[in-house]
Amino acid sequence: MSDEKHFTRRRFLQFTGLGLTAGAAGAPVVATAQLKDAVGGTPPAIAKLLREALLPQPKGARVVVVGGGWSGLTIAKYLKRYNPAFDVLLIDKQPAFVSFPLSNSWLADQIHLDFLSHSFFDAADNHKYHFLQATVLGVDRTSRKVYTDVGYIAYEYMVLAPGIDYDYGRIGVDDPEQQELLFQHYPGGFVSTSELLTIKHKIQSFKGGTFLLNVPSGDYRCTAAPYERACMVAALFKKRRVRAKILLLDMNTGIKIKKDGFHRAFDELYKDYIEYLPSSEISGVDLDGKAITTEFDEYPFDDAIIYPPIRASRLIEEAGIVNPRSPQMAANTDPFRYHVVGDEHVYVTGDSRGQPFSKGGHTAHSEGKYVAEVIAAHALGKEVAWRSPQTMCFSSVEIDPLQAMSIITYYKFNKQTNVFDFDRTHMIEDWDIQGGQASLAWAEGMFRDMFYR
Amino acid sequence: MMPRYFKSLCGLLLAVAGSTSFATEPVKVVLEFEPDPANGRYLFEICARCHLPEAWGDNEGNYPQLAGQHTNVLMKQLLDIRSGRRDNPTMWPFVQERTIGGYQNLVDVVSYVATLPMNPHHSQGPWPQGTEEYKEGMQLYQTNCSSCHGAGGEGDNASYYPRLQGQHFSYMKRQAIRVRDGLREVDPAMAAVIKALSDEETDKVLNYISYLPVPAKDLAPSADWRNPDFE
Repeated sequence: MSDEKHFTRRRFLQFTGLGLTAGAAGAPVVATAQLKDAVGGTPPAIAKLLREALLPQPKGARVVVVGGGWSGLTIAKYLKRYNPAFDVLLIDKQPAFVSFPLSNSWLADQIHLDFLSHSFFDAADNHKYHFLQATVLGVDRTSRKVYTDVGYIAYEYMVLAPGIDYDYGRIGVDDPEQQELLFQHYPGGFVSTSELLTIKHKIQSFKGGTFLLNVPSGDYRCTAAPYERACMVAALFKKRRVRAKILLLDMNTGIKIKKDGFHRAFDELYKDYIEYLPSSEISGVDLDGKAITTEFDEYPFDDAIIYPPIRASRLIEEAGIVNPRSPQMAANTDPFRYHVVGDEHVYVTGDSRGQPFSKGGHTAHSEGKYVAEVIAAHALGKEVAWRSPQTMCFSSVEIDPLQAMSIITYYKFNKQTNVFDFDRTHMIEDWDIQGGQASLAWAEGMFRDMFYR
Repeated sequence: MMPRYFKSLCGLLLAVAGSTSFATEPVKVVLEFEPDPANGRYLFEICARCHLPEAWGDNEGNYPQLAGQHTNVLMKQLLDIRSGRRDNPTMWPFVQERTIGGYQNLVDVVSYVATLPMNPHHSQGPWPQGTEEYKEGMQLYQTNCSSCHGAGGEGDNASYYPRLQGQHFSYMKRQAIRVRDGLREVDPAMAAVIKALSDEETDKVLNYISYLPVPAKDLAPSADWRNPDFE
């Protein structure tokens, strides 16, 4: 009860206004005023949000991990391993986990969806933490509470690993209605499971014509994935003899990773299918006319997968911890210890992180093990030495059997330039069957680590 | 629910076990394979995606230096990880038969790794020769470790004792912590030694080990050396 008093009505209204309107600029004030005028008291549905969530009493210092992706799952597991006394709670708004890494191989029928799908219950059971399916609405770092649609949860430590959101404004689509249509008709396939299922259906039922894909600008999730996806879609069309042209519009000046390998794949395997167009800065999408506009051209399409540039999850903005210098609204965190600047009880990891590490599953996984150690050590008043995350990335280019290229890299901090550089990069651009096998074994090992062992 | 055929099979096994009360001789099976390093080189492509073509490990302690390690030790680790005796979830799928193949392939890949020269600049502990900690580590090593791992940390292939010279400090430290916390199952004598040492003593002894010299003939000419098989 004292908690409700502590959380004043005024702050509550500010908070709900922010949380419920999901970051639409200017809206919070309006929402607050309407709420107050209309009801006078707190509406029952809102009052529910103010109660403490009904959870088992924590048996140790509670660590709340927000987001059950590769980062959150790894951190939840290893927090328990490094400090069994922690009471770890993983929160995700989705009911189950479906992996984005390796999903391109599934699009081309090389693996089953079962291979990518895993239960949060299994992860929590096997690693002795708690799982709660809920949506996080906001954070009060002063009283150390995280607010969800099932009530608030007090924490000793919190890890925010909410991933990314699309930024449709950066391809000239600002109207919310247009954004929704674009998202649902031509999803990018990097944020939610329904996007993947829609894309699969699109590809499997495509009858012919122009199939448009794009590569976003900026620091997007999974650098190689759009190029890999073009290859996998082309492989499927080729196998089924679909008369199709895959138009790959790259908003960058060239292929950003495994460049020679992808160019060779486009030329040697998919010459009749893939047309690659670099420096294609997308400035708008005509949904009725089914065309993408760039600075100089218009590209009509019969179907498309449109991957807009991305930003850190809006939750980072709603929590008030955005780094003002970050163009993608990433969190303002210590680059080595991952905590929010000035708050050693809140950590930001995964693709919302402040550091410019390659966004993807393996980076989040290796980083997660380290951050779990950092938090476990912090609870004991200790520190652990910084170590670089590792990025491992397979790119499949040929199917039946699957053949892939791969790259592995670390990072090192350059004290002269004050930035992180790639370090010890090893790339295999000659795709082969071992690469394909290794990509499957890699994913299986990761799932085994995050869910079962 | 247990399927019916499984239940009846269990019953059968119990019945057989119950009837074999007479004395039996142990049966030992030893399989021998002629290694084929060329096939090992081909298979190592899969391993090199993570372990890198030089198999030198990393300073972060994620990967051990495999180059220079005894073949029996490498083989034992592969089999332990395959069976789950050594818990390594991310490597587990790579050593399953469906990925790497049967015993012959394991022998081949291990024999290929044995041909690789070692990293001349593996990561070392914080206390070089001449420090007090180094000296204490040396004494601890001589008391607790050298009888199996050898005075110079050379290990012993026949007895499956790992070679310690050249191993990354950070890797050894992580493994020691895993053994201490019961997360890695090793020879009981080895586990007892680690559990008997304090954290500080463990650091000191591993620090000493990380400074044990590696014979020059086993080292690559420089840290810039790259495995020509993968050029």
